[in-house]
Amino acid sequence: MKKFFAVALLFALALTMCGTVFAADKKPVVGLVMKSLSNEHFKKMEEGVRKYTEEDGSYELIARGMNSETDIDTQISIIENFIAQGIDVMCIAPADSMGIAPFVKKAVDAGIVVVNFDNPLDKKALTDNGLPEDFVYVGPNDEYGAYLVAKYMGETLGKGAKVILLEGSPGADNARQRQNGFLQGVEETGLVVLADQTAHWEIEEANTVLTNLLTIHGDEVQGVITAADGMAVGSIKALEAAGLGGKVLVSGYDNQDQVRPLLLEDKLAATVDQFGATNAYEAIKVGIRIMNGEKLSGWIKTPSELVTKNDLK
Amino acid sequence: MDTKKIAYLMLNEAGIGVVLVFLCLVFSVFVPKFATMNNISNIFTQISINTVIAVGMTFVILLGGIDLSVGSVLALCTILAGLTITKETLPLGAAIPLAVLASMAAGMACGLFNGWVCERWKIHSFVVTLGMLNMARGAVLQVSNSRTIYSFPKEFNAFGTLSYYGIPLIFIIAVLLVLIGHFILKKTVFGRMIYAIGNNEEAVRLSGHNTKIYKVTAFVICGATVGLAAILYMLRLNIASPILGNGFELSAIAAVVIGGTSMSGGKGSLIGTLIGAAIIGVLNNGLLLMGMSDFARQIVTGAIIVAAVIIDTYRARLSKMLS
Repeated sequence: MKKFFAVALLFALALTMCGTVFAADKKPVVGLVMKSLSNEHFKKMEEGVRKYTEEDGSYELIARGMNSETDIDTQISIIENFIAQGIDVMCIAPADSMGIAPFVKKAVDAGIVVVNFDNPLDKKALTDNGLPEDFVYVGPNDEYGAYLVAKYMGETLGKGAKVILLEGSPGADNARQRQNGFLQGVEETGLVVLADQTAHWEIEEANTVLTNLLTIHGDEVQGVITAADGMAVGSIKALEAAGLGGKVLVSGYDNQDQVRPLLLEDKLAATVDQFGATNAYEAIKVGIRIMNGEKLSGWIKTPSELVTKNDLK
Repeated sequence: MDTKKIAYLMLNEAGIGVVLVFLCLVFSVFVPKFATMNNISNIFTQISINTVIAVGMTFVILLGGIDLSVGSVLALCTILAGLTITKETLPLGAAIPLAVLASMAAGMACGLFNGWVCERWKIHSFVVTLGMLNMARGAVLQVSNSRTIYSFPKEFNAFGTLSYYGIPLIFIIAVLLVLIGHFILKKTVFGRMIYAIGNNEEAVRLSGHNTKIYKVTAFVICGATVGLAAILYMLRLNIASPILGNGFELSAIAAVVIGGTSMSGGKGSLIGTLIGAAIIGVLNNGLLLMGMSDFARQIVTGAIIVAAVIIDTYRARLSKMLS
């Protein structure tokens, strides 16, 4: 019996403590659900958002991420924890455009304002789970960004120039969108595609795949368009090893820190910046506006910008 | 030596080589440019890192163990070496050897931990190295703050593209390692003990030998080869990244198993492992040159791995008949 009272007392104490914490804190609590923090894109996003939050000061931020890009389970438990915690706004970059939709519905039903960012939820999955098709999404247009960089490559190389495309993982939405964008830009500028292969976003795989493709196309290729900076790095190494360094134009995507010196040394022709941190901050602000009664829906586009050597100066 | 004995030796030591030769012939006929010096040189480069890791993995598998942590440990080694080599306060002459040392030391430390925990508490290495897979990955993300390290000194990068008569330096290093390992396994007491323990640990223990020392050493050797592979990776791609190496353990295990090493230990050779790594490399290269799509390539590669091992069971039967 004594034990029971002790435990009950502890519980009561804990509850009042929680209560006071929440009562003292009138700021809305925003949960940010990212994908893998081992990915430089999300790590930079996390750091950037923390900085913006400090400057802004009008909300509390809880930022969460997973260990790997496709770790859907962890993301689901993060959402469930946020629901249990009773946060006000949740901004989510879904690890899976379809699989996460039912849990977004759960959060919405629990009274949380949910904003989708970075990677759009699938339209059909949204309606299947009783959510509006024009569910608010804040993010860049990967297709447009990819179109920009492919068009730049086409204009620089000239009509009829021959290129190789290296794509992200098949099945990933942004990989598919980037591929669509590349193909649009390629078609519009009259580039000839020698090969369109995946390298699963990996540096080493891009190096291997391109090295092998160069065996067939080494004497005719003029440009390599890649869907990620890491793959561009692997490609540049492959070209150098094949004695084609500097002779073939390479483009990347994401504008990561690692490609800066490559742009300056003219080894990389272009990349695309999608401003991860500002994008996430934008999503948070949209969430707070909705919480305050504004009606927002559909795709709120954030910028995608072409970055070349000239932009670095 | 009579023909029967020669046939027996060929079957036993290099039987899987038949599959490699067959694949190379098929690709040479159907894929123009496959059998060019340039392409073969590319394949050499592409299989070097996997070969080096697979050498260490062979020691572990010969003892009936497994090391799932090699991919993560590889990433850890590259980052530690990358941090050392890009340290501005170090003169270049010291930075490069120190980076190699850091990489090897980190690999061996992880291996020592794996081996020691397995032996001290009698836990299967599958579990312990699975734990290490996570620990090393977490550690490397922590140490690097999930950032990639690049811009190594030019002097270091220059090593990566070195080649002699079309044979890349990193492949020469890999083959030397295979030969040294082969010598150790076949010609030294230590090597004989590895096979003996793999075959029947209890018998070796009862005859008064300390089997633990050998098993821990095998993991340390595996760690050391991962440390070396990390340096080769950096030479090849001039980059150190906390997210590299995912799935490398599976490629290494595949090379070992295709090479005829038994998963339950006690049987196998490093020459087989080298051939196993070459089969994987030749398949990746040849199928891509044929213009096969990524999905089809995965299916065919998987199927050929299984087929190679099925053929190997016939080889084993045949060699038993001959002996």
